[in-house]
Order: sequence, then structure tokens, then C-alpha cells
Amino acid sequence: MIVGEQKSLAEIMELLGDARRVLVAGCGTCVTVCFAGGEKEVGVLASELRMKSKLDGHPMEVDEVTVQRQCEWEYIDPLREQLDGYDAVLSLACGIGVQAMNERFPDAITLPGLNTTFLGLPEEQGVWEERCQACGDCILGLTAGICPIARCSKQLLNGPCGGSQNGVCEIDPDVSCAWQLIWDRAVKLGRVDRLMEIQAPKDWSQSRDGGPRKIVRDDLRLDEAE
Amino acid sequence: MAGLLDEVGLGGERVTMVNLSSAMGAQFAEVVAEVTERVRRLGPNPLGNTREHEKI
Repeated sequence: MIVGEQKSLAEIMELLGDARRVLVAGCGTCVTVCFAGGEKEVGVLASELRMKSKLDGHPMEVDEVTVQRQCEWEYIDPLREQLDGYDAVLSLACGIGVQAMNERFPDAITLPGLNTTFLGLPEEQGVWEERCQACGDCILGLTAGICPIARCSKQLLNGPCGGSQNGVCEIDPDVSCAWQLIWDRAVKLGRVDRLMEIQAPKDWSQSRDGGPRKIVRDDLRLDEAE
Repeated sequence: MAGLLDEVGLGGERVTMVNLSSAMGAQFAEVVAEVTERVRRLGPNPLGNTREHEKI
């Protein structure tokens, strides 16, 4: 899932500048499950903004709304009438939601209240770790189900490097060496031969390296009226 | 919560969370007295009295 983290109150206040009527807009999917931008977080942040701005002597009027998904037009279109009269919208959605709001409602300024950090999973409650870099050309079938793009600090495809010690990456003792994990699992599953196959160089043009990406599914597109 | 109130500028010391059972009457009275005294010392809430219709 997309994992994000709220910006500091100080940074948010700075972004809002002298906005007096603010709408805090949350999202019910990814940022809800990582407890960064869901309905509850919207409520807490809105309260913080009211309290802080009142203490600072420039009280803000802060309203709250949370949509199911902020990245899809049909979920944000119902907000259209609501947006008049706000000096700014503070979105607690991921960067995609912030941009969707800006694209769909270009006359309103939607500011980011979160830093969208990575694609990952909750290793345990309250701890999220990066697992996927959306490289566009998944090799998990070759690497025993462990991703060297996301989990190797150097994104090596023929690891490990000399910095791997006792299964731990040299950059941080809390970071496992991805290639140690891959090797151990390949041995356990009897898939070392798959790992040893010579592969063609990875096609990085499928990743962000090739520019902003797009997928078109003609089978899903609605027929435009002639 | 305390951290949040500190960040906002209201003071985290105004909030206390205590775990008590309904059978612990004496301890409840003690905690309430202590918190009341602490908050009294901190002085009035800088936000002032909030009118009922005002959102905080």
C-alpha cells in the first residue's frame, strides 16, 4: 500500500500561510490504513489548526471532509460545490490525491499535508517497511519472492555486495541484506537454479527512469459517443 | 496527546491519562485532586472559554 506520514504542524502552518478558511480533506483508503490521513486524522489535525491559529492570534476557520478515495474523479466530484469560499484545501491524501484535487478543481489551491513516502506493508502494527519500487518489470519470480530493487540499498541485481555482513546491510544494522534473504529463501525452496540463470539486463525504461508512466487498457475504456 | 498539545502551544501537562477500575475510589479522588491542583497552577486555558457552538 501507499504509505505516508503527516508533515509537521509547523510546515503545514507555513504552507497555509495567511489562509483563513481552510478545508482539510482526508482519504479513506491507503492513508487511512497507515493512520496518516483518514477521517480521524483529519479531525485531529483540524482541531490542532484551530487551536494553534487561535493561540497565534489569527484564528482559522477549519472544516473537515473525508472522501472514500481522493485519487478518482467520481469520488472527488461531489466536493465541487463545497470548495467555494475556502482560501486553501489541505489534503491529507497521498500525492496522487493532492494532484487529483488540483487537476479537477484548478481554481482551488490544494496543498499537501502529508509526505508520501513509499509502497510498503505493516511489518507489525505501527511499523511500515518499503517493499516495492514500482519498477514496472517484476522479477520476484526469479528472486524467491524477495525484491532486490526495493530492499537492496543499492538495487543490485547480482548481489550481495561486500557490505553484507551477517545478513545485515552495511547502511543500517536494522536493514536486512536483501540478497541474503533471497539466497536463504532460494536454498530453502530449492530454487537456486532459477537464481543462477543469466538474465538480460533489466529494462529500466519500464521504471520511472523512462519518464512518467501510463497504462491504457482498451478493454476497459468506455466507448465515446460518435 | 500530550505531545500534540505541546506542539500546539497549550501544554501537554494539562492532560493526564490514568487507568483505574470503578472499585478504586480512593485512588480516583487522589488523582483528581492532583490533576486539579496541577491545572490550577498552570492557569486558565490560553484559548479562553469556548462558546458552545464554536468548534475546537
